[in-house]
Amino acid sequence: MNTATECLLRMVDEQHALEDYQGGVPRWCTGCGDNAILTAVQRLCRDENLHPEKTVFVSGIGCSSRFPHYMRTYGFHGIHGRALPLAEGVKMARPDLHVFVNTGDGDCCSIGAAHWIHAVRYNMNMTLMLHDNQVYGLTKKQASPTSPIGTRTNTSPRGSYLEALNPLTVTLGVQNVSFVAQVVDWIPELLFDVVKAAFHHKGFSFIRIIQRCPEWLPHMHEPWLHDPGRVLLLHHAKALQLSSGISMLYRTQLEHDPGDIHRAREVASGTDPIPVGILYRNPDVPCYEDTRHAGRLRTAAELRTGLEQEFDKYTVWPEDRVPAPADA
Amino acid sequence: MTATLDSTQQSQIAFHLAGRLPDAERPQQPAAAACPALLAGRRELPALRYDFPVVLASGERFVRPLSAIIDEVIHAAGTELQDHGPLTHHLLRLEREIRSLLAAGEHGTLASVWDGAARLLVAGGDAEVEASLDRARRALKADGDLVDCDRSLPGAFAGRAWHVVQEAKSARLAADLRRLIIGLTNILGADRAQSRGGRSPERLRASLGQTYESVFDFDALSRVLSTQAHGGLAPPRRERIEGVLAVLRAQRFVHAPSDDDAHTPRGYGFEFTSCTDALTAYRERLPRARELARAVAVAELEVRGEYRDGVHDALFGASADDDFGRDTLALLPDYFVSVPMARVHGEETDSLMELLSAGVPAKVLVQADDLLEESTVARDGHFAVGMRARQLASMALGLADVFVMQAPASLLYQMREAVRRGMAFDGPALFSVFSGASGGTTLPPFLVAAAALESRAFPAFTFDPSAGPNWASRFDLSANPQTDRDWPSYEIAYEDDGHRLAREQVEFTFVDFVAADVRHASHLAPVKRAAWNDRMVPVHEYLRGTPDAGRIPFVSVVTDGDVLYRAVTDDRLVRAARRCREAWHSLQELGGIHNSHAERLLAREATAMAAAAAAAPTAVPATAPAAMPASAPAGEAAAPAAEERDPDLPYIETMRCTTCNECTQVNTKMFAYNENKQAYIKDPDAGTFAQLVEAAESCQVSIIHPGKPRNPGEPGLAELLKRAAPFA
Repeated sequence: MNTATECLLRMVDEQHALEDYQGGVPRWCTGCGDNAILTAVQRLCRDENLHPEKTVFVSGIGCSSRFPHYMRTYGFHGIHGRALPLAEGVKMARPDLHVFVNTGDGDCCSIGAAHWIHAVRYNMNMTLMLHDNQVYGLTKKQASPTSPIGTRTNTSPRGSYLEALNPLTVTLGVQNVSFVAQVVDWIPELLFDVVKAAFHHKGFSFIRIIQRCPEWLPHMHEPWLHDPGRVLLLHHAKALQLSSGISMLYRTQLEHDPGDIHRAREVASGTDPIPVGILYRNPDVPCYEDTRHAGRLRTAAELRTGLEQEFDKYTVWPEDRVPAPADA
Repeated sequence: MTATLDSTQQSQIAFHLAGRLPDAERPQQPAAAACPALLAGRRELPALRYDFPVVLASGERFVRPLSAIIDEVIHAAGTELQDHGPLTHHLLRLEREIRSLLAAGEHGTLASVWDGAARLLVAGGDAEVEASLDRARRALKADGDLVDCDRSLPGAFAGRAWHVVQEAKSARLAADLRRLIIGLTNILGADRAQSRGGRSPERLRASLGQTYESVFDFDALSRVLSTQAHGGLAPPRRERIEGVLAVLRAQRFVHAPSDDDAHTPRGYGFEFTSCTDALTAYRERLPRARELARAVAVAELEVRGEYRDGVHDALFGASADDDFGRDTLALLPDYFVSVPMARVHGEETDSLMELLSAGVPAKVLVQADDLLEESTVARDGHFAVGMRARQLASMALGLADVFVMQAPASLLYQMREAVRRGMAFDGPALFSVFSGASGGTTLPPFLVAAAALESRAFPAFTFDPSAGPNWASRFDLSANPQTDRDWPSYEIAYEDDGHRLAREQVEFTFVDFVAADVRHASHLAPVKRAAWNDRMVPVHEYLRGTPDAGRIPFVSVVTDGDVLYRAVTDDRLVRAARRCREAWHSLQELGGIHNSHAERLLAREATAMAAAAAAAPTAVPATAPAAMPASAPAGEAAAPAAEERDPDLPYIETMRCTTCNECTQVNTKMFAYNENKQAYIKDPDAGTFAQLVEAAESCQVSIIHPGKPRNPGEPGLAELLKRAAPFA
């Protein structure tokens, strides 16, 4: 509210170490890309000194959705495809919390697709991480909407029949989209930078994280993993600025203005090389929770009176206890 | 000067030096209606469209000129018409009529004056006019007080700006107080609900309602629940919260309605007409203000659940007159004082100085109606032009942390943003405004105020300490005309003796400003064209040269039925003009125009450069060095030097580690995570070469390099070295 109070708060602010954000021991397979995402997020929490009691991770179902268990913050392991409605409810009731959503390609792009589209349109201030390993891993290898055509799985033994859905172009096609980024789990520095930029964006930040599944699709990303030239790094003065180390290693680069949505859609359509960085950012899109804010706090008494008036409209009164009509 | 003087010139020089004309040449009528030549064309103000009158309303656009509103109405009412012509014509007539009414002393809201003017126009019986005005009246959306540029303008204008800023500020504070009160009440409410009392059979019954009360045994329920009841808030905390709540509820600085409106205390007033009264009120309220600031800080901590007794008790327990909560004090409403310059003396001056220098959040408007006061020390016609207004402004400038604005009323509309900025400034602000309503002239106040600006008698400037760290960003002189000149220069056109169009460039000096004031007519002697001669020079030229007894300074005035005269100026007035120019020069220097320090530095550097160029004629051109670094590849220059590493030692490209646990599962003593949870080789001797190779092979991103075996006796080395080769 004012700087003096902020100073007082900072005086007793506890600094947290990365370990303070570690919850249970991850049950993910060794070598799984989820670990890289978990590390990046724990680093973010430490660097931004997020108070664990002011931070919440919401997830649906799938490997990725075990995420809240491994964070020592608030968490909500929801039901399949419904991470976003839950997160929106949390944000609406507690706008002071930092809300993160961890979801997978099956959870978000298949059963949860309707919620995903509308969450983009609502543009509530939260960060969504789409852990996209292009397969249903928890249920042992079924094709997901993002599996590339021809992917052999238990449900598509002769190879999947449909072209993979591109979560980036879908998101960029929805009204009110305000932040879209893509990153790969095997470049931890950029993963962290993108998660950080998404956290600082006010609005619905959508990050698609292309992630390896060493158990079910062990060779899927090897060509990209071992050829840095097949990753297209997006950089711009208004977006990511690359460190010299990264810049030396990944030579395929593109200067991309994150304010240009048409160019963003074009870049997002490319799959080889994989575009990595911030595709689109528009801080001026209003957040749903702000537009719906009543603008005035209500006291407990006002809430009680208001609720009772609403209930009274629908109450069926016993004949002998019908109240006198309200003056209003 | 070699030519001999004729008698006309002699008497003109005599007037210039002594301020008196020979009796025979004294005009029968004093030059009462003289008007500076430049203003002559603008005397009939109501017929002209300009910034005034203005309509003062609330909200973002708190001030709008009548002409802009009329334009808007023409646009809105005329969209359905094929021909805008008649409507435009009628509305412009209405606008003129409104101006005339105001000039005649009418006042009120825009709607009321509009209706009065419309009645006058319709009285002519023209049906077309009536239809146009009806249509326009329906399209008129704006309303508010209609104020012309007169004595009442500065107070109304600044008052409105203050009000707009304060409204927003008070609303913010009220919302915060309300939020804190609700937060604290909720803490107490939650505590009550969980306490033993809150779980009594009566409370439980009341909370369930009547429908199902018969099916519950509230005594049993209460017994069960009471075993879980917690001890409640610690008494010191409860006391603290209740104390803070009481302060927040009883405050009188802003209107923050509570649940119980009947007990909302009456708010303080913040508008004053004397600095002394404002200062007294501020002093009286200061303890309450500090108490509120402290309560707000404690409440904020409590509501966020961040109050730590051990840390914060010591802070808030300090003595009552500490400086804590200064930021919260800044959230309280500011004081507004509107005081006429004539009253700023004695105790009032002391109070004003104290308000400004002590950082009291007061916005003080000092309104001067007359700049041409004679000095109280020497009543010999020594002009003390706007001396006190200038003194006030320069004193406030000297304080360095006070927002200062000086402007004639005619410029207020154009400087509305500056006025608003001053009102929103986080500290004291002084607005020194010249209204132009001096009474010494027949010209309308707007023209007098504008003339004061043009003649540098009352220059406009703002000093905004919040705009930056230095004078260049804080001090703004740009509202003045032709800031780089001594006097602004304009062209006048007139008809000469032969009825031909003649043009002349004239500069508007301080003498022109005085020429419009009848009280000082004796300092000027208008001379007809027949008596004009070569020794006469315009005042601005006269001032530029060295004093010369042979030259006669004059200004061009229009008098005697629109005839152009040259008015010979007496020496006192010329001296006053010179002082006025000096004051303007000082302001120019502050504003970075013809700054003597800068010019001196520039001259020195220019000399040094010339000397350097002369000494080394074959030196490399200055642009060459700048081009050199650009030719080096930027990427390579920025790349860090490669680390010196022993090729035999195993290592991990830690930056690229994806925390997949592969290596740490092989050997936790050999592989470990750093503070960013990325792997590095903690101890190369804590495991075997076989483990290093195994880790390198299983690493998903191939960033583990096994190096050379540490133990030459390790079994199967040949095979291991072969496997390690791809990871070298």
